[in-house]
Amino acid sequence: MTDALTAIDEALDTGVAADDDPLTRELQELALMLRDDAPQATPEFRERMDWRVESGFQRPRGSRRAWWQPLLQPAAALAVTGAVVLVVALAAGGRSGSGRDDSGGSSAGPALAADDSGGGGRGAAEAGGGAGEVSKSASGADQSAITVVPPSGGGFEPGRSDRKIERSVALELEMPVDEMSRVADQVTAVTNRYGGFVLNSSLSTGDDGAGGDFDLRIPSNRLRSAVRDISALADVRTQSQTGRDVTREHVTAKDRLRAARAERRSLLRRLEAATTDEEAEAIRRRLDLVAGEINGLRAQLRDLRLRTDYSVVTVTLAAKDGDSGGAGGGGSFDDALGDAGILLVAVAGWIVRALAVALPLGLLALAGWGLGRVARRRRRESALA
Amino acid sequence: MEAVPLTGTAPTEGFTELYERTFPRVYAYVASLLRDRSAAEDVTAQAFERAYRKRRSYRSGRGSMDAWLFGIARNAALDELRRRKRRAVLEVDPEDTDARAPEDHAELAVRREAVRAALASLDGQERDLIALKFAGGLSNGEIARVLRMSESNVGTRLHRTITKLREACND
Repeated sequence: MTDALTAIDEALDTGVAADDDPLTRELQELALMLRDDAPQATPEFRERMDWRVESGFQRPRGSRRAWWQPLLQPAAALAVTGAVVLVVALAAGGRSGSGRDDSGGSSAGPALAADDSGGGGRGAAEAGGGAGEVSKSASGADQSAITVVPPSGGGFEPGRSDRKIERSVALELEMPVDEMSRVADQVTAVTNRYGGFVLNSSLSTGDDGAGGDFDLRIPSNRLRSAVRDISALADVRTQSQTGRDVTREHVTAKDRLRAARAERRSLLRRLEAATTDEEAEAIRRRLDLVAGEINGLRAQLRDLRLRTDYSVVTVTLAAKDGDSGGAGGGGSFDDALGDAGILLVAVAGWIVRALAVALPLGLLALAGWGLGRVARRRRRESALA
Repeated sequence: MEAVPLTGTAPTEGFTELYERTFPRVYAYVASLLRDRSAAEDVTAQAFERAYRKRRSYRSGRGSMDAWLFGIARNAALDELRRRKRRAVLEVDPEDTDARAPEDHAELAVRREAVRAALASLDGQERDLIALKFAGGLSNGEIARVLRMSESNVGTRLHRTITKLREACND
């Protein structure tokens, strides 16, 4: 085959079919005939083409394409790709947003809900049968009104109205440094007013920074009013509430205590009826064990009652931004550094977001361009089919 | 890869040389493929204009200038084929400038007719290959560049096609 092709090329170069092999010579003659029979352009067409080449293929004024016209098609393709990606991203974002659960659990039974009139906050319900936590920031809000959500009848103990809830509230208040001492006194006063007590407290207003922490216990049936009054003392920076239903623990402990007491009564009757010393001794040993169990259960119930009768309230006092209470020059520089760091992080975040959008779009556009080229080539080749 | 400096002292100088060298072959190839003289003129003009406007995109590493130009011409011809979706025959037979004896002329004409009839029996891809080789005057390597296949593949197909033509002519 290679010899035949070489012979054909030789014949085309020399213009003569002179191979010794008759078959090859026949191929050479055919090749020469194909070449000689090739169509030729008319002189008129040649003349027109010569003129067009000399003039640099100048187009008449009206027929010239604007520079942006060739970009229309790729721009349209990019726009369509971008629109598709945007729709997909919005749909995915909407789906993940609707699945978010602010309350942390079902809202069953009596719940403590916060209604922030100042900041437009949302209501939060405690979880039934488990821990539920809601955090909300109420910057600039002066007051938080606590409203009670009526029991829904569902939840852990269906129809039970004497549920035991362990509640805790965390408040962060901000105020000017010179008011911190006054606010701290007010927190103590409010606690005492509602029948609670201060478990722990600390307050500092020195050059190293101003701040305070309070660990309060407030009767649960007066929690709402107490938290409202404490929130009114200064600007609430953050507020969070948790609730844990410990009804099952309480019921279990009570049932076990009841059972232990019944066993003790039974053992006492058996002791009276004991006929031998050994039998009496065995019953006494068992009675000791039951007595220990009863004491433990009573302590457990006492602890549960304490945790549910009194709610934990932690109050943190913080100086307002820009009023740290420390040395002015060093504090400003530190603040500036902190602000610069925050700004850099924010800028980096935006760059990453932009790349997260641009890179897939770019890859999609590249893939689309590649596929378009392949499709165009296939369409062209199909013309020969 | 460097761009061919088709721009010289005058903007069209390098391109003019390319045109002078390849115009007859490009026309012959396009006309062989389209089998329609007026369509061949349009497509040939289109091909050279496209090549002129894209002259700065040529890269020597991708192949010879002839292969690059014929690639453009081929695409233009295939676009025309798709548009028309028909196969017209040449309106005018090519001029026969060879002064031969009347007997030779008659025998040659018969032979030519046999070759043309045999060409008509080829499929589109085979005819394209024959046109690139014999009307376009491209080497096997240049044809491989245009058709995006290996040179050995081109050789195999070319041999198969020309053998088929020979047998068709002898039938």
